[in-house]
Amino acid sequence: MVSGLELAGVRKTYGDVEVLRGLDLDAEDGELLVVLGPSGSGKTTMLRVAAGLEEATGGTVRIAGDDVTRVPPARRNVAMVFQSYALFPHLDAAANIGFGLWARGMSRKEVQERVREAAELVGIGELLHRRPHELSGGERQSVALARALARDPEVFLLDEPLSNLDAQLRTKTRAELKALHADLGRTMVYVTHDQAEALTLGNRIAVLERGVVAQVGTPDEIYQRPADRFVASFVGSPSINFLPSEAAATFGLAADGEVGVRPEHVRLGEGEVEGEVAVVEPAGPEGLVHVDAVGTRLVARVQPEELPAVGQRVRLAIRPNDVHRFGADGKRLG
Amino acid sequence: MNERRALTLMLAPYLLGLALLVFAPAVITFGLALFHYDLITSPRWAGSANFRELWGDDLFRRSIRNSLMFVVAAVPLRLLGALLLALLLHRQFRGASTYRAVTYMPTVIPDVAFALLMLWVFNPLYGPLNLLLDAGGFTPPQWFTDPSDARWAVVWMSLFQIGEGFVIALAVRQSLPADLYELADIAGAPAWYVFGRVTLPLMAPALLLLLFRDTIYSFQANFVPALLIFDGGPPPFATTYLPLFVYTNAFEYLRYGYAAAATLVMFGITALIVFAQWRILRRWRLPSTA
Repeated sequence: MVSGLELAGVRKTYGDVEVLRGLDLDAEDGELLVVLGPSGSGKTTMLRVAAGLEEATGGTVRIAGDDVTRVPPARRNVAMVFQSYALFPHLDAAANIGFGLWARGMSRKEVQERVREAAELVGIGELLHRRPHELSGGERQSVALARALARDPEVFLLDEPLSNLDAQLRTKTRAELKALHADLGRTMVYVTHDQAEALTLGNRIAVLERGVVAQVGTPDEIYQRPADRFVASFVGSPSINFLPSEAAATFGLAADGEVGVRPEHVRLGEGEVEGEVAVVEPAGPEGLVHVDAVGTRLVARVQPEELPAVGQRVRLAIRPNDVHRFGADGKRLG
Repeated sequence: MNERRALTLMLAPYLLGLALLVFAPAVITFGLALFHYDLITSPRWAGSANFRELWGDDLFRRSIRNSLMFVVAAVPLRLLGALLLALLLHRQFRGASTYRAVTYMPTVIPDVAFALLMLWVFNPLYGPLNLLLDAGGFTPPQWFTDPSDARWAVVWMSLFQIGEGFVIALAVRQSLPADLYELADIAGAPAWYVFGRVTLPLMAPALLLLLFRDTIYSFQANFVPALLIFDGGPPPFATTYLPLFVYTNAFEYLRYGYAAAATLVMFGITALIVFAQWRILRRWRLPSTA
């Protein structure tokens, strides 16, 4: 299958700073690939290199199989949705959506048709005469998305498009975006630092760490079988617990390398190891318990009715099948 | 000390200066316009006599016409110059700061020094400008003898002193979000389209402000070159602008009341033009494309 977007060995340096260090990424045709990474991991730079807004220092960028590494942005046939939405404040929603089309010299009728279609796809057909300052955050986001849709590009590049929305609207828009992708079947590369967004949205997730891809996989693979210590610690909330080999041995776990265990796999009220409850965090349908045990602090996820009191002594257990093991180089063992 | 008191104290030096140097002379000018006064004898009540005399004064009418011609030629060119230089120099590149400083520099040179420098530049015998034009095969203008050439020389001089407009235009251009231009880049919008559709409308409020400001400024800006370089000439009074008319009447003919009346008329004309500009341009909006 031809890739929608392929980055092969892409490097990008600014002076002495190497932001992308031989990055390989392959978004299949029609796929929604989420690129997840912390601040400074190079995800926005990667997107800008793909769009042609930044020139790659090395490596190759291909869109629909064509090498576009040295091709200017206008001829890459991509559309980008910016984190800030990049709406022209003096133009109404219709003019914003049609901006790229006017510039290409399309007829007025054709532009109007495309604008209306795109606006209706994202549910803002009634708002076309409003200017950005007359729209809510969610509506602005929809205008930005409609503008990308109206161009009918080969690849959509989305740079944290939901980060400026409130939590409730973000969840709703996320679902709409996923449905839109299913309808359109177009290649989308979606950059985010929000793991919940990544896990719920992507067909696949690429986790970026300091300018290289640490792991690519389905959301399940990324969460259940993290490729290294970084992916294990970055994906999952609250973060995975790490036990040094001696502490792991106390739980009866084989002591080869560092052991990682997700909070939902730390079982309270079972086993022989004892600890003291340091912090209790009720969080709606679940609760988090921070326990000091075996010289470290472990976080356990429990049912709200099982929450112990602070200072209480509790027993803990970890099953061998529930743990992830990492070698000295941080790579997954087994 | 409460905040209001602190603010008042901090503003006091400025307000004092404003009162002594702007408001008080303005009030005195209003009063003086109604008197005959020559600094030597006591002021004599004139009523509207000074204004009536202005109405019939050929030289006053000529100076109004000269001033209007200067404003019509200089303001658009100065604004265009400031805008083009801001668009050229808003990017970061090697030497950008130097170019910006060079653009601003003529504005901070004292008017008299600048005028003396230009006196040499325009010199018909050894001035570099005419030598250059001559070498290029062009007929050098007669800056000091031809009325039209002299007027253009004053306009030409004013084009060097656009530092303030340039700095404002530069700041406004630099404050425009980069992602709007990146989006236009991805959309494949040509440069002229982006300028007309994005840059110009977004800079328009600041450019309008500059237009009003420069119109006011231009009515007063040509005094030094008109006096020092051309002394109001060449005949017949080609560079006698309103400020020079006021100056000559007040300080050469000691007709303070008459000069004050001319100042008030100049103020009125300026206010009228700025008001007209505001009325015309306030509805300036881009049409919707929906």
